[in-house]
Amino acid sequence: MIKEKVKQFIVENFAFGTAPTSLGDDTSLVGTGIVDSTGVMELIGFLEQEFRISIDDADLVPENLDSINRMVSYVQSKGVTDLIPGAGE
Amino acid sequence: MFSKDVLRLDPEAETNRLCRFLQDRVLVHYKRRGVVVGISGGIDSAVITALNVRAFGAERVLGVILPEKESNPISAPLARQLAAKFGVPVVETDLTPVLDTLGVYRHKDLIIGRLVPGYDPESDKTKIALPPNVLDRAAFNVFTLTVQKSDGTSRSVRLGADDFREIESVQNMKQRVRMMQLYHHAERLHRVVCGTTNKTEADQGFYVKYGDGGVDIEPIAHLYKTQVHDLGRCLGVTDEILNRMPSPDTWSGGVGDEELYFRMPFEVLDLLLYAWNNAIPKTQIRGVLGLTEQQIDRAFGDFESKNKATWHLRAMPDTIAEASIPDLQA
Repeated sequence: MIKEKVKQFIVENFAFGTAPTSLGDDTSLVGTGIVDSTGVMELIGFLEQEFRISIDDADLVPENLDSINRMVSYVQSKGVTDLIPGAGE
Repeated sequence: MFSKDVLRLDPEAETNRLCRFLQDRVLVHYKRRGVVVGISGGIDSAVITALNVRAFGAERVLGVILPEKESNPISAPLARQLAAKFGVPVVETDLTPVLDTLGVYRHKDLIIGRLVPGYDPESDKTKIALPPNVLDRAAFNVFTLTVQKSDGTSRSVRLGADDFREIESVQNMKQRVRMMQLYHHAERLHRVVCGTTNKTEADQGFYVKYGDGGVDIEPIAHLYKTQVHDLGRCLGVTDEILNRMPSPDTWSGGVGDEELYFRMPFEVLDLLLYAWNNAIPKTQIRGVLGLTEQQIDRAFGDFESKNKATWHLRAMPDTIAEASIPDLQA
């Protein structure tokens, strides 16, 4: 569920509805140019709002946010699971 | 072979080459009477002023000084001083009333006031910046807004994408109003607007489209910032300008180019950017600059992402010919 929501946000906001063929779960979003620096700011806002988490400045590094899988792991590390009722509603 | 001297140039020879370029473009290509230069009090416009005086003589160069209420107060005096040193006539216009009419300050203050409660536009200073040195840490390029209170305290907040775009679009009006002024003088005097963008800025997209990028010619767009500095020293640019922190001079908090955008000192930045542009092997870079492979990767990653994110600044307006849309009769 987390992964689907993240992927859907990326496709709708950065590829405008068409999933780029290069977008895999481990694809570097910035490295491939799918997301630029302002896009990263959009992603941060989305994650904070959608999953009701707070992202520290110190966490704004590629290891946490530069691919779909990394974002999923990061969100999970903040205590969000697919089973939390109401999360993202 | 890559070395710390790879950007060293022969300033006199380069000056002569640039003078030939200026004379060819302005007199032969554009067939205009001279140039108009926006003199900011910084190194790039100082070098451009000096070069044009060398190419055409001071009487064919008009310096335009365009302060506004958030400019560094020292900028206009330094610009005047430079113009006087090179004998260049100047026109000075305070852009504050125009920017005020456009709502630049009001709009920006509203956003900042919402983000930082207690913000006082009358006494507080503001700036935005990227995270510090990318060689130390691979943080994403997310901007932070800082409000400096008159009592010495400050408060910083991370900008979201919408707020950043809003603030950027408002701030960029400053460079675009400057551009309008330069063209006003260029058209009435039948002259060319001479740009001041250097290669470091051009490659990394550190300028405003149709703002400081809205010019007729860009004589130093092939020179890295440190090379412009070397040229300035040879051309007799004043020490106050040579030693000054480079800045777009659009934030009252006085943010420099490094803190605002480039995330490393120009001395390292330019060498790394040269290495990136010329595909220099990392083993050579490591040896010369004493950096780890990880640091080089971080710098190159930053260069690439900024270069890609700003491609549209360097593009001409698209027409249907570029879009591969079939002709109606096809």
